[in-house]
Amino acid sequence: MKRNLYYLLSLVVLASMILAACGGATPAATEAPPAATEPPAATEPAATEPATAAATEPAATNPGTVIITFPQEPTTLNPLYAEQWFSTILTQFWLKGLWSFDPDGQPVPELATEVPSKENGGLSEDGLTLTIKLRDDVTWSDGEPITANDFVFTYDMYMADANIVSSRYPYEDYVTSVEAPDDQTVVVNFSAPFAGWLTGIFAYGAIPEHVLRPVFDSEGTLDTAEWNIAPTVGVGPFVFKEWESASHMIFEANPNWINPPKVEQIFIRMVDDAAQEVAILAGDTDIGVYLDYSQAEAINNSGKATFVVQPAGYDEGWYLNFNAETVHPALQDVNVRKAIALATDREKITQDLLGGQTEPPATFWDSTPPFGNPDLEPYPYDPEEAQRLLDEAGWVDSNGDGTRDKDGVELVLRYISNDRALRKDVKAVVQQMWAQVGIGAELKEYGDDFFNGYADGGPQPTGQYEIAEYSDNPDGFPDPDESATWLCSEVVGEDNPEGGNWQGYCNPELDELLNQQATETDPEARKQLYYQIAQILYDDVVWIGIWKDPDLWSVSNRLQGVRFSGATPFWNAHEWTISE
Amino acid sequence: MVNYILRRLAQAIPQLLLISLILFLLMQTFGDPIASLGRRTPPRPADRERLRRQLGLDQPVYMQYLVWLVGNDWMKIDMDGDGVAETPGKRLGVLRGDFGNSLISKRPVLKLITERIPNTLLLMVTAEIVIIIFSLVIGVYSAVEQYSFFDNLVTALSFVGYSMPIFLIALLSMYLFSLNFKEWGLPYLPTVGMFDPEVGRTPGQVALHMILPVFSLSVISIAGYSRYVRSSMLEILGLDYIRTARAKGLRDNLVVMRHALRNALLPFVTLVGLDIPFLLAGAVVTESIFGWPGTGRLFVERTAQSDFPVLMAILMMTAVAVVVFQLLTDIAYSYLDPRIRIE
Repeated sequence: MKRNLYYLLSLVVLASMILAACGGATPAATEAPPAATEPPAATEPAATEPATAAATEPAATNPGTVIITFPQEPTTLNPLYAEQWFSTILTQFWLKGLWSFDPDGQPVPELATEVPSKENGGLSEDGLTLTIKLRDDVTWSDGEPITANDFVFTYDMYMADANIVSSRYPYEDYVTSVEAPDDQTVVVNFSAPFAGWLTGIFAYGAIPEHVLRPVFDSEGTLDTAEWNIAPTVGVGPFVFKEWESASHMIFEANPNWINPPKVEQIFIRMVDDAAQEVAILAGDTDIGVYLDYSQAEAINNSGKATFVVQPAGYDEGWYLNFNAETVHPALQDVNVRKAIALATDREKITQDLLGGQTEPPATFWDSTPPFGNPDLEPYPYDPEEAQRLLDEAGWVDSNGDGTRDKDGVELVLRYISNDRALRKDVKAVVQQMWAQVGIGAELKEYGDDFFNGYADGGPQPTGQYEIAEYSDNPDGFPDPDESATWLCSEVVGEDNPEGGNWQGYCNPELDELLNQQATETDPEARKQLYYQIAQILYDDVVWIGIWKDPDLWSVSNRLQGVRFSGATPFWNAHEWTISE
Repeated sequence: MVNYILRRLAQAIPQLLLISLILFLLMQTFGDPIASLGRRTPPRPADRERLRRQLGLDQPVYMQYLVWLVGNDWMKIDMDGDGVAETPGKRLGVLRGDFGNSLISKRPVLKLITERIPNTLLLMVTAEIVIIIFSLVIGVYSAVEQYSFFDNLVTALSFVGYSMPIFLIALLSMYLFSLNFKEWGLPYLPTVGMFDPEVGRTPGQVALHMILPVFSLSVISIAGYSRYVRSSMLEILGLDYIRTARAKGLRDNLVVMRHALRNALLPFVTLVGLDIPFLLAGAVVTESIFGWPGTGRLFVERTAQSDFPVLMAILMMTAVAVVVFQLLTDIAYSYLDPRIRIE
């Protein structure tokens, strides 16, 4: 009996010690915030009553900090080396470019005095020379003037062999030289008229020559420059303060920026997807990034945040195989392809599986304003018409097994995607829809690497499919150019293993339009070309849109003024305010 | 003894070389690191070709391994793509302490890892201490009070704990202690990170943010280890010398703590010894879920990007730690148990 008591007691003591340790830490957290509010105490009335506010809401005590959760951590901040979207979207805080883009995809001048055009003489009549005037009232955050020489230096660094930059597009392809006739004038010379200059040229700004030239000269490369991960000198509404790998990144307000921000700092926290959701629901984060459709309801019902969709050029779509050697014979008939579209209730998919947050697109450019052809409507759900087309094409169920066939070949289509759970669900639903009109489906999922693999014998380059489903946008969004996916010269094959046209669709008429738009520098004429391009892809049923795939964000209810855009989501960060 | 240690270390060299070779070959099946260098889509062909060349990935695998091992400062490499090697290499190779640069961020791998190690050790060592204390207390008490209510309860709970996947424990505890507690107006724990951005990195904040990850990390191990301690205690408690000690009239807790526990600890020490080298590698799942900036998370992130210089460095670091700690465990045995001799 005595030893019973002894052990029980020691356990209790131990447990209470641990509880005390935890308990001791909890008040520490609730007491600490008032101390942290000392700088804004003078300006913020909320800070005058920290004792009560802090006790209940420790996360929201500092009215000046916008917390953003990032489910993926940038690997670098230098835009030359940035290979991730997470890295490039941050430049809007600390490294403004010549212009950014608003929610409608329209350019908003930042470092440039105005957006060049043929009308204002910024773009020469032959489209070969682009002249950009820089503002004379902006400086780098260390006070040094920002000049045209910084842009020339940036171009040189993109092209230097010693720098392992992520991409030389479009400099390698279109630009012959970048010049600085005077401090406020940047002149870009093109080898051919380049329609995509607006989004391609210095899309992520310039890098400071006065900081990085000495590094390049002494180390021979910018690859390992400290500035890449700690860019203390930038130009924008915020200034980089610190970045602790896998933990957080801080940008502080830059009062000298032309549009001084209204919040004091941006705190970016690196978290796991699941933890991000908890943080959003708990009101611990102001902006949630890269969310999923399934999270919409919970977020909107939490009373802490709102789910926001913003088109960013992406559309989930079906890429149909046109390679005669590998594809099912039925798919070579345009009426069968049309029947497939008519037999799929895409409206139902977006309602039931995507929570009605989006809708089916008619063309690949519906999420890339203003290039989506407004005259086109998605093919409707019309199973009767689908059946009629299939009957007419000679695909009938002659052996009574429930699946149509012709000349002894069953109408069973290989329908592939990567292994994302949402796509698996969609495919299962589509399989049922198709079964009602007698189309069989063989569903296959692949790991991302293999599904996207271009040279590794992946299912797409080798044509082992009829329909491949994935989400894509024009590479230079908001520029509409996506030619590599449809040009005849890009058709993948043994002689062209790196080609971008995996479907093998080749149409001389389309080719001509695609080549024409690439050099068409008149925005209106280019838009009309895209209407025609979309019409061909629509009539020939080359690409079937399943849903517009916007960026999915959440914004906490205390954060106001956020207007995401597809290309530069944080473009208006200087207008953000926090209310209590 | 010195001879024995030297012999073991000499044996470790070919062992580690072989491990590195096997790992390096396995890395080749990881997928193409270039593919993850596209901003949102894979890079265009011209960039792919240039990146392969600049990163040395166009070289045959044996050449890549050689460069990884001994560096390339003795040869010239082709950076401009004209087919002529013109630029002197700069890498020193692993044997001279240069683990290369990350393919993704281009930063020195050693820097990337050393940034994370203190955070990982803080979390893992704390968790290990919690695990040891609780397994011992629970295990010993269950053994002494065999088939009591407490013992049965702990047995039931261990089975629940042991069969729960760690991500479930992590997420459940996060939902309960952070989200629900906050809703119910109770004192709640933070969800993610190492500290609250508004407060800053104070020891109190870090401790507070450690509670949930440490809890998640320990639950499964405590469930398993306490069973281990319990059974080895039971075995010892049934031995004759314990009965003798009791017959001599020794106090009960003296018998249990000094006579039984010390002997029962030997297998437990082995178990813990096996854990130690892996503390460096961090906790992959827990660190990811709780946003803890450790090496485990680095490993996960870089696996997705096939950043094999980083992966190789973490794996080799673990391999070296395993070799070293195995040697230390063997040496420790000879001290703990005089019957074991090292020649």
